[in-house]
Amino acid sequence: MKPEVGTILGLTVQKLAMGIGDEGAPFAQGTVGLLASVLTLSAKEYERGADIRFTENREIRALFAELAPSVVDVTLREDLLAASVASDPSLRISDLNEGNYALRRLLTRLQIYAEEHGALEAQKRIWAVLKALAQRRLVQLGP
Amino acid sequence: MKELADKLAAYLRVKLAAPDLTVHDLARIPGGASRETYRFRARHVVGGKKLDRGLILRRDPVASLIETERTTEYRAYDAFHKLGLPVPEPIALELGSAALERPFFIMAEVENCAPGSIMNTEPYGEHRQKVGEQFYTVLGKIAAADPGAIGLGDFEGAKNVNHAAMHEVARWEKVIDEDEREPQPIVRAALRWLKRNPPPPAQKISVVHGDYRTGNFLIDDGGTIRAVLDWEMSHLGDPLEDLGWAIDPLWAGADPARPGGMIPRADAIRTWEEASGLKADHKALHWWEIFASLKGTAIWISAALEYADGRNIDPINAFSGWYCLSVHNKVLAERLAAEVGA
Repeated sequence: MKPEVGTILGLTVQKLAMGIGDEGAPFAQGTVGLLASVLTLSAKEYERGADIRFTENREIRALFAELAPSVVDVTLREDLLAASVASDPSLRISDLNEGNYALRRLLTRLQIYAEEHGALEAQKRIWAVLKALAQRRLVQLGP
Repeated sequence: MKELADKLAAYLRVKLAAPDLTVHDLARIPGGASRETYRFRARHVVGGKKLDRGLILRRDPVASLIETERTTEYRAYDAFHKLGLPVPEPIALELGSAALERPFFIMAEVENCAPGSIMNTEPYGEHRQKVGEQFYTVLGKIAAADPGAIGLGDFEGAKNVNHAAMHEVARWEKVIDEDEREPQPIVRAALRWLKRNPPPPAQKISVVHGDYRTGNFLIDDGGTIRAVLDWEMSHLGDPLEDLGWAIDPLWAGADPARPGGMIPRADAIRTWEEASGLKADHKALHWWEIFASLKGTAIWISAALEYADGRNIDPINAFSGWYCLSVHNKVLAERLAAEVGA
């Protein structure tokens, strides 16, 4: 997810300081509504952001451990095995993101490999993880 | 706001040869993230008769959600207004910066109307049948129009029916490559799938609106569509591109069987086919539906970057980059997983 909560909160303060009523009531109404929405999303992200990333990283590492033995490409297999036993240095969002981005890049390499080698079962496992990832990151405005 | 009103009045006095013209009630309104949109009234006397007309000013922002060409948008308004479709009458296009600091155009305001919200599960209430029939009929007429005959044959886009799909994939892949700030495995997988599984050639090259959906047209209290807006992404291409975008689940998508909160999907496709004289081949439309969600992710990734960089801190960019991207990632994951039986 970009932008992160810290960016949103900082720019919301900046927007409020600029005076959102100066451009007329209809636009100000719309802006206030949108600010309310992004602040609502930020509140939810505050609660679940670390858990989403921690869970996602764990699931991708488990997938790498499961699929690495069947990968013939030595470089890719070694990268997968190394990533599968790594861990996040802390539960700070920035640390989790750093690990997550590396895992996502490697996941794409693995998926391309599976596609190019016609490894259907591996593709299914990858898509199962990606579906779960997308579902977990889905944001909703309601309760 | 008064300074802008004064400059606008000065411009229109010259442009419309109306030395007594005055501008009133100028106010910015929500209306698309790629241009600043203002509503105002212009009053002057013509032939002894007082005119009091509602107008809309669309001005380039300092930075926009997607870099779009205001000349393209203006010409599309002009061509389809003349064709008799519900499109506001364009009044003036100014490409220089002298009058209002940035390029802009002015069009007639279609009054006493409102758009449907993509966040509303029932944006049209009791009028959904009537709105849906018009919505897909108008889209079919856009598809049926001959770009050359309406003066838009030189629009950007594919000129060859065999290249329309990959032309658009390349367009949005470039945006993703330039604006992606975190790895997007689902988006990348979607790009690969689209390239590996090209659709049949387009049946014809049409003007593609580019953002034809719930939220981008106005209806009156009786459920009549009065204005199709936001033509800034219009281009030449496969008319199925617009149909795929129109039925994307992001738009008021609580019920996938009734895309956009309007009529059932099968009725939507049939209505479009009747109005366009074209066929919505199942395989081709499936490809364009996946493309639509991919195109959405490109737009939202771009919006998020503009916001995060501080180039445009309109909260619509934060919302798009967060909510809309998460929805389209989920849609793509489900559809592409189904392709391999996952």
